[in-house]
Parts: sequence; structure tokens; C-alpha cells
Amino acid sequence: MGEAIVITSGKGGVGKTTTTANLGAALANMGHRVVLVDADIGLRNLDVVMGLENRIVYDLVDVVEGFAKLKPALIKDKRFDNLYLLPAAQTRDKNAVSPEQMRQLVADLKEEFDWVIIDCPAGIEQGFRNAVAGADRAVVVATPEVSSVRDADRIVGLLEAHDIVKPLLLVNRLRPAMVKRGEMMDIDDIIEILAIELLGVVPEDEGIVMSSNRGEPAVLSDRSKAGEAYRNIARRLAGEEVPVLAVAEDGLLTRLRRLMGWSG
Amino acid sequence: MPRRRTATAARASMATPWLAGRWDEPTSSTLPTLLVRRHLRSGQRVHYQGNVVVLGDVNPGAEIVATGDIVVMGVLRGLAHAGAAGDSARVVAAFRLEATQLRIASHITRAPEGDRPPDVPEVAQVRDGQVVLDSLTQLYEDR
Repeated sequence: MGEAIVITSGKGGVGKTTTTANLGAALANMGHRVVLVDADIGLRNLDVVMGLENRIVYDLVDVVEGFAKLKPALIKDKRFDNLYLLPAAQTRDKNAVSPEQMRQLVADLKEEFDWVIIDCPAGIEQGFRNAVAGADRAVVVATPEVSSVRDADRIVGLLEAHDIVKPLLLVNRLRPAMVKRGEMMDIDDIIEILAIELLGVVPEDEGIVMSSNRGEPAVLSDRSKAGEAYRNIARRLAGEEVPVLAVAEDGLLTRLRRLMGWSG
Repeated sequence: MPRRRTATAARASMATPWLAGRWDEPTSSTLPTLLVRRHLRSGQRVHYQGNVVVLGDVNPGAEIVATGDIVVMGVLRGLAHAGAAGDSARVVAAFRLEATQLRIASHITRAPEGDRPPDVPEVAQVRDGQVVLDSLTQLYEDR
């Protein structure tokens, strides 16, 4: 029996899809059986970021409507035999599925896979309710901006109402130099507001744009700073104790360690 | 068992008119009080006929509207409206009062731009038609 994790944020453009693709690839690289579910019906992107767009035959809506069986709708990844994608429908909208159908779908996937990673659409409406319906845990992605943190806080409140206990925080696109100059919120500021556990910090990385466009998750590159951060986050999700990546000067690193409950 | 006797005695005296008469307006409130034992996050709202006490933070985008007093045992960053039925003798108190806007009855006030709030518990109340903030310790010393 696997575990279902929803990647959510409230605000758009903060890196939900990138996070889904990279955590999925990293967990698959560690040998886990992983399926990625694109719950952003009508605005599907995850297939593009994974470089699997041209292999789509059936989609999520086909499966919940009983038009296709689950197995043939799953697209096997190019790089890993143990990584699959269930794409979103592009010609339908969020109302094409119900939370109850999603709960059943995710439960079926959990029978077959160690990890079901659900890419949640932006917003707090039907698409959000569908995406979180079957999830056991949630990763809340926020960038160090006031508007993003505000939306993340809204999402955490809604998750608590959906009984998804202990949402985890992923701070994305942190720019240590700006934090150092006092021009960007630091991790402490974000945690003070959200008051949830920090799962990890991903630094800003221009390489992410290229890797997304090429359909190659950054975790597969040894040179990518963001990729390294995502690999560490995947190990942490799987229960390993991994220190938070040194994204800035020692002061920040020490503080991060303290936040994560590790000393030294 | 002396401890039990104390408890019984306390309950009995709470009910006596003598004590009830002393907890009187304006220094006390006999309104019903709602205790919120969690953080209030963006988009969550509490509307209550009476007093509201929050054991946690009130984040930006969260909203408390109470006909009585509001006490936040954490950081108040969201919107608090005390005395919402028109009673301007009500107060808003917080362990850290960092709200960008405060309302008491029909009075509305904004935090001064760029002013960092002090690191002490504060209370907001209407004085001479204006919402003013005092540190709680200062208020005790004045009394």
C-alpha cells in the first residue's frame, strides 16, 4: 500500500508541476515505484515537463468515466521503468471529475505504487478539492514572496479542514544573495507565518527553465543546484534524515538545521 | 481532601450575586466568550456574539468580528473588529499586535506605514474618538 502526496500551493507559477516532476523522478531513481497524477484538468502541463506529451492516448477523465482502464492510461517514463504518468484531460474542465472519483482513483493507484504524487491546480475551487481528496499528505510549495505565502496560508487552512494532517512546506526559488541583502523573505519569516514543518528549500536555478522545456527533470543532472535540493527532499519524504542544502552562508544553514531539529 | 473542598467553594462563590455584581461593566465583560484553540489562517473567519479569545496566531487575510472584546494569545496580523454591534468601549488585545487594520465599533484605524510594532503585548481601545494602542504593562501601571 503506497502513500499519496498532493503538491499544492494556492498561487500559480510557484513550481508545483516542476516539484511534482522532480520529486517523482528522484523517488523513481531511488528505486521506488512512482506514479504522477496530473490533476490540472484542462491545463495539463506535467506531461510536457516530463517529455511524455506525444505518448498520451488516454487521460484521467477517460479512466474515471470508465472509458479506459487504469493500466493502459498510465504512460511509462522514458528513463525509468518504475515511473508512470496519468495525464490530465486537456479538452475537459475541473467539473469533469468529483472528489469521490479521485479518492477511488488514488486508492486504486496506491495498490500498485509506492508513491502517488498528485499535481494540484492553482486555486481553491473544484480542482483543488479533487486533487486533495485522495491524498494522505500534502506538500505546500511557496516562493519567498508575500503573496505566495498568503495563498499558502489559505491552502494550509483548507487542508486542515480536509483533515490532511501535517502539511509540509517546500520553499521554492529562494535567492540567498537577495535574502542576505534583506530584499527577500527568509525561511524564518515564512515559517513564522505558516507554522508548519519545513520539508526543504530549493534555490532559484535558471537551469530549471531549460530542463522543463526539454522535458528532462533537473534531478537527473548532477550539475543542477535545484536538482540536488529535490533529490534531498525526496530522500526526506522517504524517511531519511538529510540536512537542508547549503543554499546560503553558514548563518542560514545553521538556522535551517535548527528548524529541522538537527544540531550541527 | 482539602483540594476538592477548595474547588467546590470556588464554584459556589462564582454563583453568588455578590461576586457577579463585582464583575461589572465597564471593567469586566459578562458576555459569552468563544475560545478558538488554533491558528486562524487566511480566508478563515470567526463571527461571534460575545468575546473571542484565540490561542494561536491570526494570520493576514483571517477575520474576527465580535460584539465584545477580542484577545489574541499570539500574533494578530489579520483583521479584528471588536464591539461590532456599536459598543466602542470594547478592546482588542494581542500578545503581538501587528494588524494592518483595526476596527472597534465604527472606528477604523491603520497601522502607520513602515512602523515596526513593538515586541510587547498591546491593547487597542477608543479614547477621545480615536483608536489608540498601549502596551499592556503600561495599562496595568496606570490603573
